[in-house]
This record gives sequence, structure tokens and C-alpha cells, in this order.
Amino acid sequence: MGKLFDIALVFEYMPAIFSRVSVTLLIVSVSVVGGTLLGFLLAAVRLYRMPLLNGAAVFYISFVRGTPVIIQMFIVYYALPILLSQVDININRWNKLYFVLISYALNNAAFMAEIIRSAIASVPVGQTEAAHSVGLSGFQALRRIVLPQAFCTAFPAFGTRVVGALQDTSLAFTLGILDMLGQAQAIGVRTYHVLEGYVAVALFFIAASLLLEKGFAWAGKKLLPNAG
Amino acid sequence: MIRVRDARKSFGKNEVLRGVSLDVKKGEVVVILGPSGSGKTTLLRCINFLENADDGELTIGDLSVRFKHATKREILSVRRRTAMVFQNYNLFNNKNALENVMEGLVTARGIPVSEARETAKRELDKVGLSDKYEAWPSQLSGGQQQRVAIARAVSLNPEVILFDEPTSALDPELVGEVLAVMRDVAREGITMVVVTHEMSFASDIADHVVFMDGGVIVEEGTPREIFTRPKEQRTRQFLDRILLKYDYAI
Repeated sequence: MGKLFDIALVFEYMPAIFSRVSVTLLIVSVSVVGGTLLGFLLAAVRLYRMPLLNGAAVFYISFVRGTPVIIQMFIVYYALPILLSQVDININRWNKLYFVLISYALNNAAFMAEIIRSAIASVPVGQTEAAHSVGLSGFQALRRIVLPQAFCTAFPAFGTRVVGALQDTSLAFTLGILDMLGQAQAIGVRTYHVLEGYVAVALFFIAASLLLEKGFAWAGKKLLPNAG
Repeated sequence: MIRVRDARKSFGKNEVLRGVSLDVKKGEVVVILGPSGSGKTTLLRCINFLENADDGELTIGDLSVRFKHATKREILSVRRRTAMVFQNYNLFNNKNALENVMEGLVTARGIPVSEARETAKRELDKVGLSDKYEAWPSQLSGGQQQRVAIARAVSLNPEVILFDEPTSALDPELVGEVLAVMRDVAREGITMVVVTHEMSFASDIADHVVFMDGGVIVEEGTPREIFTRPKEQRTRQFLDRILLKYDYAI
């Protein structure tokens, strides 16, 4: 069995582990893009206080933000097929990855909704009134004045959330998804060298998180030179 | 010409406007005075539908609308005939001075960008900000921001400009520059309705002074009539209190 921890193995395993990076990136991108789109819908429901829907949105957001993502994933994985079988849709043979993508998108939707809603709500009402006073329609005021300002407010929080979404992807292996962590575990089971694989994965997450963080900070400076 | 007939507005149980009628002739400067809570700002905001009045009728030029039944399209066309200068300036924070003035021209009026830019420069020059085209609102003083806001309103060439306490949020030493710009605007013959506490401005510039209290117009007339020979007890009380402050010695 050899040494308990062999640093050389970290690098040896890296290619095999990093070859699964596409799965991780797929989960991140689908959950961020899908979550943002859904988040806009939820935020609109909350901001316009749409009857009935508003209450449902409040409940949904607090449920998602108040429970661990792993539980949400299990709920989607086990409950969604049962729910859909009631209307004669059979998804039992779906690839597990789809369940992961759905649950992460649903999870991120709640966080994005709150980021978007609070950013839009933080734009002073006087901005909208001024837009109306110069003759802009409601939609023009939103598009030209409110959303650009809300974007500046939301951008840093959005970046933080993307980094969070990246780290959340590591739970997908619990459903047997062969992402990087799944691969590290598989190697560990095969070779009895568990730690090395995890260290390689950790290195990836540290590097990727730092990269994203710096990227967002840089983009923030580029995009929002006159923030404030 | 602006005509408001029997405007009524309540916020919950609080009746803010109890049937206000107001006539403003073309080119006239009307100043609305009154204690806080008298409904003067609400009246102004009802004229361009920032508040929806509960009842009454509004005529601007050839456009007549009932407050209660105004359609979205009517509201938009009322807003495109009016402009407003706010107490807190409300410059668009995501746009520089020039873009602030251009926004209504380009987006609302559909004027070509190059033409709008020329108009905007001309109006900013008129308010003495020819060196601040590119400045962001956060880089401007309150007085400068309010002058941009006035340029923004004037550039739209509206039938009336509504001023909602335009100097109340300013440092005392910046009030003068804004009032000077407003004097210029008045001299151009632009119709203005001004809510203000600047009495000397009111008596110098106004063609017509309206005194409001408790959601109704208590008294109206020429500045001379109102300031020197107010008929109503309530008007006299108000003016005494306001004008008194220039009268004491420490």
C-alpha cells in the first residue's frame, strides 16, 4: 500500500481527475444561467407583488435558502419522477446528470432572485419618477435607467454566488455523477490512495475560485467605472 | 395652457387634495405656497401622473383627461407635454450630464442622437455648465445637479415645467445659482408651476401666486395682492411666520 500520502500521486492523478472538469463546468454554467433566468422571473413576481404567486415565491425562496442543497438534490432526484409519473411522464431512465442540473438551477434561482430583487429595489424611486417625467414608458425606464443601476449593485453579489455555485457542484457525486470529486473517489477506491485525489480536487477549486473572484473584480472595474 | 379641475387625492384616510382647481396660462409663472402637508407637492405630482389623483380633470393644451380614467397612453402623452424638476434633483445616476439631458430627447421623443447632443449641449451651456458635459452626477454639487435637471426639463420644450421645491435640498449658498437659472427660464416665456418657499423669488418672478392649505386653495392672486394685501386670515398667518424670519435680530 505504501505511504499514506504521496505527493507525487497528486500530480499523477491530476490528468484523470481534471479530465472530468467539463462535468463540473457544465453544472456551474447550467445552474448559473438557468438560475439567473428563473431568478429574474421570481424577482419579477416579488417586485410586482403578483397575487398568489408572490406568496409562493417567498415560500420557495426561503425553503431553498434555508435547506442544504444536497437535500434539495435528493428531493428532485427521488420526488420529481414520482410527481411526473402522476401525469404519465416517465423520467426514470433519465441520465442522473439531468436531475443534478435541474436541482442546481432551481437552487440558484432562489439566490439569484434575491440578488436581483434587492438590487432593483435599491434603485431610488426618484430615478423611475425622473424617467417618467422625461416621457419614458415604464419599460423604457426599467431598461434604460433602473436595470443598469441595479446591475452595478448586483454584480459583486452575483460573482460571489457564482463562486458558491462552483463549490456546490462537488455534491453531485453523491448521486453517482462522475465529476472531478466522483473521479477522485473512484481512484481512491481503486488504489487505496484517497487523500491524493481529494487534494488534487481541492487545488482545482482553490484555483478556480480565485480565478473567478479576480475575474469578477476585474470585470467590475471595467464595467462599472462610475459606480456609486 | 394648463387647467386642473376639482382634483382630489387621498392617501388612505388622509385627504390630501380636497378639490383643487388651477388655471395656468401659456407663458405664465405660477408659484404655489403653503405649509408642509398642504398638498402643493401632491398637486404637482398629480399633474404629471406621478400620483394618480382619485378624481378631477386635467387639460394640457388640446389634451383633456379625467384623472381616474386615464389610460396608459394618455398618461404617457401628458408626461411628454410636461417636465419636472425635483427637490432631490433625481439625475440619472448611470448617465453623465449630457446623457441626462439627452435621454428624454432620444428615448422618449425619438430625436436622432447627434441632434439631441447639440440640443443638450446648448441647454447645458445656458445653465452655465459648458465644462461639465462629461461629469457624473456624483461629481457635481447640488446646485450643479439641479441646473442639469433644469436643462433636462427645458430641453424637452414641454408645455409646462413643474418645479417641486427645487432649492429646498440645497446648501444655502447654492440656492442663488439655481434661482438665477430659473429666472432665465421664466424670461424665455416657458410656462412654469413652482412649489417653493423662496418668497423673494416668488414675488419677483411669479405672475400668479396660489396659497394652499389643508388640501384646498385658500387664496390666489398677483404676488402684490398676496404678499401685501392677503385677504384670508390663514394666508396672513403663514406669510407672517415665513417673512418674520428675515426680521429678527440676534
